[in-house]
Amino acid sequence: MQGAGCARFGSSISLPTIMNYLLGAFKPSCTVSIAFSDGKTRKQVPLKKENGQTVLVPLFQSQENITGKITIDPLQGKKVDHNGVKIELLGQIEMYFDRGNYYDFTSLVRELDVPGEIYERKTYPFEFSTVEMPYETYNGVNVRLRYVLKVTISRGYAGSIVEYQDFVVRNYSPPPSINNGIKMEVGIEDCLHIEFEYNKSKYHLKDVIIGKIYFLLVRIKIKNMDLEIRRRESTGSGANTHVETETLAKYELMDGAPVRGESIPVRLFLSPYELTPTHRNINNKFSVKYYLNLVLVDEEDRRYFKQQEITIYRLQEAA
Amino acid sequence: MVLVLALGDLHIPHRAPDLPEKFKSMLVPGKIQHIICTGNLCIKEVHDYLKTICPDLHITRGEYDEETRYPETKTLTIGQFKLGLCHGHQVIPWGDLDSLAMMQRQLDVDILVTGHTHQFTAYKHEGGVVINPGSGTGAYSSITYDVNPSFVLMDIDGLRVVVYVYELIDGEVKVDKIDFKKTTTTAH
Amino acid sequence: MISDGVEDEEKWLAAGIAGLQQNAFYMHRSLDSNNLKDALKYSAQMLSELRTSKLSPHKYYDLYMRAFDELRKLEIFFMEETKRGCSIIDLYELVQHAGNILPRLYLLCTVGSVYIKSKEAPAKDILKDLVEMCRGIQHPLRGLFLRSYLSQVSRDKLPDIGSEYEGDADTVNDAVEFVLQNFTEMNKLWVRMQHQGPARDKEKREKERSELRDLVGKNLHILSQVEGVDLDMYKDIVLPRVLEQVVNCKDEIAQFYLMECIIQVFPDEYHLQTLDVLLGACPQLQPSVDIKTVLSQLMERLSNYAASSAEVLPEFLQVEAFSKLSKAIGKVIEAQVDMPTVGVVTLYSALLTFTLHVHPDRLDYADLVLGACVKKLSGKGKIEDNKATKQIVALLSAPLEKYNDIVTTLKLSNYSHVMEYLDGETIKVMAMVIVQSITKNKTQISTADNVEALFELIRGLIKDLDGSLTDEVDEDDFKEEQSSVARLIQMLYNDDPDEMFKIICTVKKHILTGGIKRLPFTVPALVFSSLKLVRQLQGQEENPFGDETATTPKKIFQLLTQTIEILSSVPAPELAFRLYLQCAEAANDCDLEPVAYELFTQAYILYEEEISDSKAQVTALHLIIGTLQKMHVFGVENRDTLTHKATGYSAKLLKKPDQCRAVYACSHLFWLDDHDNMKDGERVMLCLKRALRIANAAQQMSNATRGSTGPVSLFIEILNKYLYFFEKGNPQITVATIQGLIELITTEMQSDTTTPDSSADAFFASTLRYIEFQKQKGGAVGEKYEPIKV
Repeated sequence: MQGAGCARFGSSISLPTIMNYLLGAFKPSCTVSIAFSDGKTRKQVPLKKENGQTVLVPLFQSQENITGKITIDPLQGKKVDHNGVKIELLGQIEMYFDRGNYYDFTSLVRELDVPGEIYERKTYPFEFSTVEMPYETYNGVNVRLRYVLKVTISRGYAGSIVEYQDFVVRNYSPPPSINNGIKMEVGIEDCLHIEFEYNKSKYHLKDVIIGKIYFLLVRIKIKNMDLEIRRRESTGSGANTHVETETLAKYELMDGAPVRGESIPVRLFLSPYELTPTHRNINNKFSVKYYLNLVLVDEEDRRYFKQQEITIYRLQEAA
Repeated sequence: MVLVLALGDLHIPHRAPDLPEKFKSMLVPGKIQHIICTGNLCIKEVHDYLKTICPDLHITRGEYDEETRYPETKTLTIGQFKLGLCHGHQVIPWGDLDSLAMMQRQLDVDILVTGHTHQFTAYKHEGGVVINPGSGTGAYSSITYDVNPSFVLMDIDGLRVVVYVYELIDGEVKVDKIDFKKTTTTAH
Repeated sequence: MISDGVEDEEKWLAAGIAGLQQNAFYMHRSLDSNNLKDALKYSAQMLSELRTSKLSPHKYYDLYMRAFDELRKLEIFFMEETKRGCSIIDLYELVQHAGNILPRLYLLCTVGSVYIKSKEAPAKDILKDLVEMCRGIQHPLRGLFLRSYLSQVSRDKLPDIGSEYEGDADTVNDAVEFVLQNFTEMNKLWVRMQHQGPARDKEKREKERSELRDLVGKNLHILSQVEGVDLDMYKDIVLPRVLEQVVNCKDEIAQFYLMECIIQVFPDEYHLQTLDVLLGACPQLQPSVDIKTVLSQLMERLSNYAASSAEVLPEFLQVEAFSKLSKAIGKVIEAQVDMPTVGVVTLYSALLTFTLHVHPDRLDYADLVLGACVKKLSGKGKIEDNKATKQIVALLSAPLEKYNDIVTTLKLSNYSHVMEYLDGETIKVMAMVIVQSITKNKTQISTADNVEALFELIRGLIKDLDGSLTDEVDEDDFKEEQSSVARLIQMLYNDDPDEMFKIICTVKKHILTGGIKRLPFTVPALVFSSLKLVRQLQGQEENPFGDETATTPKKIFQLLTQTIEILSSVPAPELAFRLYLQCAEAANDCDLEPVAYELFTQAYILYEEEISDSKAQVTALHLIIGTLQKMHVFGVENRDTLTHKATGYSAKLLKKPDQCRAVYACSHLFWLDDHDNMKDGERVMLCLKRALRIANAAQQMSNATRGSTGPVSLFIEILNKYLYFFEKGNPQITVATIQGLIELITTEMQSDTTTPDSSADAFFASTLRYIEFQKQKGGAVGEKYEPIKV
């Protein structure tokens, strides 16, 4: 319901505000627009809104200056009385199961105007300098982390006019200095022994997973082998922890039954999948972790699997 | 035009292993309409071989033939010609032309073909012909020395017969030709 | 579950084809609209049909080929995409996003092919990546086809010497490495098929495997076509690597097939130069591998190679091929204790063929092989296995075929030893092979020693062998065999009479062991062979000072008499009778009166005692009269005795007409044209009169028994004899005699009781015509005939 615009009461009708809105009988008395100063050049990325629509919004990273201007344009022949105009930059975490509860982990405010009246189009520049935005925008199953600019035209009795502008934050990391491969031998005694090897433990979003699966002992009839990428999103804490696991990729590595001594190559490009960086305990509210799950299926459709966590990070793309 | 192959006294395998290769390569199936053979083949294998060259095969009995059912003499008519066939050991003195002429009169034929002497001969006689094709294999003969393999092809065309004699001399085939025209038809 | 139902399989195939075609349709549409993303999607879906496990190799191949054709179109599209600016590297990544591995790898190979062509990366890297990635398919059937696809699309893109893909970074080694790796993996998959599925399906599985073997073998074929695989590379890399796989896979079917394949696809000169290695692998193969066939094929190839050009022979010598093969065979036979005789013989047979081709001059090698074979056969008794005996026949036929000459073969001392292991039937077969070889090649065997050895070899035809079952032998087969022997006897010849005589004696010795059934075939041949020698000698003056050992006609006649005598007691009296007469004529020509007389006597005895059939008697008598008529060697007394006998026989024939004819034939015994002292007109006349009497008697007899006269033909025949002697100037034959007979005949022919006989009429008419003809001739003859009235 945010951003639904403002409503104005008629003199003879005393209905609750909400009713007026629903009847669509009111038109806002002004339009409010938020423009970024580098809006034409800044990269835009799609953002899925809660109504399912995808819109393009500007992309920022932490410690950038966020500047622009607000334009308030009263409708023809109307004036806007207000108790002041302000702009806020909010970083919010929203838990879906706890609807309506926002946790603002970041909140910056700039007063743009003292109380007064606006008769005609009026523009206010704003600037947030070197904004600390430690967390990335995230749209999960149970949780969402968003950044938004919120313009409020405060009005005493008639309700404030509020306008929002979402933007996306992505934070880039340099390649990790330590990035060991994953190598592990697993097995079921006298039945199946394999050794798998992934070249790294940390992958960036467009990375390629290179690896090998060695079959050390095969006494079951394997039908095929897949490599899955699973995302584990946990929200809340303690008894209220919600864990949601999604399989984002199911990539067939092998067809048929190998024999002892075979080694099967792994090469999985991450780019086709909608991954995010790994998020660890964001503001004590949620975590997003990634796993590689190696699954072997035998002829009787029994599944044998081994899951390994990997870290996903966003690599600063070369200019 | 009718081609008639006349041959005899092969004496296979008692006196010769086989017909000369050069002859065999000449005697291909489909060219010859009749074979007349004076006898002494001597085995069935040779009979079967001749049949492959031409199924119309007429044979009289030589004294060494294992097949005893061949007749002593045989006559047949080809075109305008009446032919007589006999091995010849019955005609004494052997190879004697006058005695053969008597047989020709007896069989009342235009052409008499006999063998036994292993000596190729062809005589015109009293308006007829007496032919001996010799020995197809050049087999040993007590009568004739230095026998060359030989056979005869008769090309019968109307009242005319051309007798070709093929003789293998020192590995080469030599051909001789004798022309014979019939003036009167024999009263049969 | 894989069903056995053929019908079900048909359905699955049909469904697979339908699915494939549908997706191919959408793929084409995407291609036409340059929609890469959709093209990839539909092609992957199309290729998913190949993920089926329900089809037999044969049906799967059908599906595969359809996909293969579609992929060609996709490949062209990829090529065009890159021309339109799409990065091949991106394409190479893009296709790898496909989630299912089989479609992904087919697409990867397809793009890989374009990638190599683009030359944006070294061919070897791409090839290496492709062959490596294909490991993901561990299912044998699908893996084999995928890798076969890889090998197909990469064939023309190998960095071979002289290829456009050759470069500093890409060498033929990489090409070879790639093919070898693909080969190895394919073979592993192929072998693995054997061990999957229930044991009861083993036979079906082996059938399916054999249907797939050429997919594996194809790699070897490709290797053989790589330009850069020269002898060194073959020796150092290719062969050791291939053999390593062959040996290590431990699979009977694969080992046998691949060994065959190696031998077939690589050049003979390579085999020759790597014999050690190739042969070294043989003992390492599974014991059940049919190594004898493998080695036989190798030797056959090398034999043909040797036969192809004399220039290559030094190579064989240089590498000591014979001794290596020889040793290898020895080892294999030793190692495989249970190898059946047929295997042993097959190997030696191939080795023999080899040495005959490579070392035609080294008879000792050939003999060595035969010797080794004998050694292996010894102690096993007669070979009873049908296949083994067939192989022995092949083994023994090889030298004959090579040399076209039994004489050379006879020098192989072990040849006859090998034959000792044959059963009676096969000895006969082998003997026929030998005889036919001689007849076919017109081999002249010209020494008694060789004849001795030869007859020893072909004894299966010459006599009944001990222990051989005297089964019902087919009459025709027997005749054919014995005719062959008779022919063979004709082939034995030496110019030198002494040696020739030795040959004849040797032949005689052998054929006389042949028993009653064979002698009628063999004796005549020997007789005529001997008579030819007689004729050769007869021109020569007998040297009065000649030593005792010299060959003389007399000696030969002694031998002949003995031989024919045996024939007569066989009994084959009619044949013996004829041969006596033949010999008598020959003796006549040699002026050996006593010999000729003796021979005639023998013939007469046979005539009197053994020839009883009337028809046979007639023929025999013709031969007696005909022969006797030719004889000039006899003095008056001997001659009289013999002619007297002959006329006697004539009068004793059963049928009157036969009597009559024989009697008038006898007239010629008294009138020899070239011998003035042998023209006895009176006795001629006596004969003819006697013949006339018999003819009359025949006539009356016929009248009495049948109520009609017999044929007048006999009279006309006698008339002709009259004319014959009349012309010859026999004073006993006068115009009146002739005239009388003509009238007699005319009367007879006009008689009411005479049966009309058109042939007699014609005979008579032509006889009269002859008289006319002679009259018209004029001259002495005409004059002579003139008084005869017809």
